[in-house]
Amino acid sequence: MANQRTDLLQGTLELLILNTLARESMHGYGIVQRIHDAAEDLLKVEDGSLYPALYRMEERGWIKSEWGVSENNRRAKFYRLTRAGQKQLEAERANWKRVSKAVTKILQAT
Amino acid sequence: MKFEIAGLLTRPNRNEIALEVEDELCFHVEMLERKYLEQGMSPAEAKAAALRRFGDLEKYKRQCEQISRRNRGLRRVLKTLLILLGLGGLIIRLLSSDVHFDHLGDVLIMIAVAGRLLLYVRGLPPRNPECS
Repeated sequence: MANQRTDLLQGTLELLILNTLARESMHGYGIVQRIHDAAEDLLKVEDGSLYPALYRMEERGWIKSEWGVSENNRRAKFYRLTRAGQKQLEAERANWKRVSKAVTKILQAT
Repeated sequence: MKFEIAGLLTRPNRNEIALEVEDELCFHVEMLERKYLEQGMSPAEAKAAALRRFGDLEKYKRQCEQISRRNRGLRRVLKTLLILLGLGGLIIRLLSSDVHFDHLGDVLIMIAVAGRLLLYVRGLPPRNPECS
């Protein structure tokens, strides 16, 4: 299975993070676990790569962070989607659908 | 307003940012370690596996610190500009005896208020969250 894991395409991580946070606010570890679980371990994501993406997304105003207490009573930073992030998620979902449709068409044509 | 201006005058502490980033990233590594321990690994194995899975901790820490400093710096500049704009408008409004200058003061105050409002609204949670 390990050699069947796929690297994430550039920019896809942000879409996955936005999509995960659309359900509820979470800390970074929770976000990665949710992505791994949903992808059934088929995607190769280095856990640490999530954080620069989260910081960039907060800089753009798509998400907002707040320190809180985790399930094991440890101080943790929780992220939540903002209105700007919700709009971005809708735009990125639409874009993803367009791209995957185009790639599928090309693959079927050749 | 007083607290806000005081907050703007104090520069973001480099150590504070570094500590926050480190705290956040270490929490992740600790959670991974805990998971591996529960799966039956020895403490040393769990630590090694957690660090392997996380990737280059120092690299990610550095990247996050850079972004965080840039982000806080930009927000600070933006907020300061809006406050100065508002104050400028207020001073013009109070001191001017010319109607045209009064209008200029009004416009500056409105821009400052609208800017702050925009910053606030952008940070609000979405109106219709997809799931609860």
